[in-house]
Amino acid sequence: MVQIVISSAGAEGLAEWVLMELQGEIEARYSTGLAGNLLGDLHYTTEGIPVLIVGHHILYGKIIHLEKPFAVLIKHTPGEQDCDELGHDPGTTRYLVTALIKDKILFKTRPKPIITNVPKKV
Amino acid sequence: MPRTRAEVDATLQAAKLRAAELLPTALSLRFGPGAACCLLELEPALCRRLEAGSSLVIRGEKDEQAVLCSSDKTYELKVADTSNLLLCVPGCKTPAQLAQEEEAPDLMHAEIFGFSNNYWELRRCRPKLQKLRKLLKENTYEGPDSPKEMDSNRSKYTTEDLLDVIQASEEEIMAHLQVLNACEIGGYWRILEFDYEMKLLNHVTQLVDSESWSFSKVPLSICLQELGPLEPEEMIEHCLKCYGRKYVDDGEVYFELSADKICRTTAQMLLQNAVKFNLAEFQVVWQQSVPEGMATSLDQLKGLALVDRHSRPEIIFLLKADDLPEGNQERFNALFSLREKWTEEDIAPYIQDLCGEKQTIGALLTKYSRSSMQNGVKVYNSRRPIS
Repeated sequence: MVQIVISSAGAEGLAEWVLMELQGEIEARYSTGLAGNLLGDLHYTTEGIPVLIVGHHILYGKIIHLEKPFAVLIKHTPGEQDCDELGHDPGTTRYLVTALIKDKILFKTRPKPIITNVPKKV
Repeated sequence: MPRTRAEVDATLQAAKLRAAELLPTALSLRFGPGAACCLLELEPALCRRLEAGSSLVIRGEKDEQAVLCSSDKTYELKVADTSNLLLCVPGCKTPAQLAQEEEAPDLMHAEIFGFSNNYWELRRCRPKLQKLRKLLKENTYEGPDSPKEMDSNRSKYTTEDLLDVIQASEEEIMAHLQVLNACEIGGYWRILEFDYEMKLLNHVTQLVDSESWSFSKVPLSICLQELGPLEPEEMIEHCLKCYGRKYVDDGEVYFELSADKICRTTAQMLLQNAVKFNLAEFQVVWQQSVPEGMATSLDQLKGLALVDRHSRPEIIFLLKADDLPEGNQERFNALFSLREKWTEEDIAPYIQDLCGEKQTIGALLTKYSRSSMQNGVKVYNSRRPIS
């Protein structure tokens, strides 16, 4: 018998985040895990086109307003103290709505390489 | 070490991008500690509800496909995989949001909260309510003095118990409890044993007859006064509610009893005692069994009984829509194994409840059956052989 509640933390408005969608996968250089590593710089052109620079690659994307927004959920499993804040039974798993996402930045084109050292003709 | 604007500019230069063609604000993105998060795709109406502070519930037992319920709707919950990487970035601004900032800095730092390559997808579905009737059937109510009521091992369900095991929203469960004529007795939802329900109904119809009341104006207070010594008052009122519409006239509560409902139940009582019934004989007996002044008609038996016009003599037999499987394909299989070819009129009451929000009976028939003409009448049969 299971009922898993999905609820937001409180009455204050939910934070709004942005979803960034990249093709493929991102791997850390020395398989050290991604935590703490820099992904890159995000710029926007004056026309509002997102430009992402990741290592030696430039990606051009576009901003999409999501017709179906996303909710970001974090799972709370029994044993965590903050579970019963809202009077919920602390013994049950539940999901906390942390933020809503209504815009996404989609990078779907092939990354363009940045060439820094062009060897001079000999 | 947080990135500086100078480093960002150096990268821009290496990339041969002109700062003049870019907005003044750059965002430096860094991976955070990497929290496990799930993305739930919402339809706009559900999103507004979450924003308003309502919660959603995932329901289902371990062997069931999970559903997600709002207070009034049910959705299938599925994980959709994508080959793309989805990054959740708090503090990331879109150009529109940057434009609203009074003094946007030239460099902002955003930490990627988490990432995923799947998200949860919702699809509106019919509430799965057949189990509700099955659970309540386990222990029907036969009156306060029944030995069943002494036995504490018998299963009983409160609203909260039902929410735990039924894959439907609270509103859908409550509406279906009404359809099932369920009654809350001592905090538990129960359905009445058919014979007990008939007994209550007979008390009421006999009283109406002996008092020469009209079926459209049955006073509650006198019913309770007259029948109270025979059965609990709540049961008498429940019976009136199941078979009638409550209204108030001149400060007095009345019920308008539905002839259709009373005729239908009477037919069920007659039919459930026989495998099949000669149609002509049945119609005579049925009319004699209903209270005087009520007219029986086969239209009252939609979804309860089926007439076979091809047998000689014509017969009628009990076939309750409630007893058929809940899944679309399973339902059609069951129907086609009962009868090879159906007219739309005959099959409609048995598939009516399968229609979704925008789905019609015609669309269901097109999908799950094949049609042909037989003696100028359109009939439907199975798309595949029924084993």
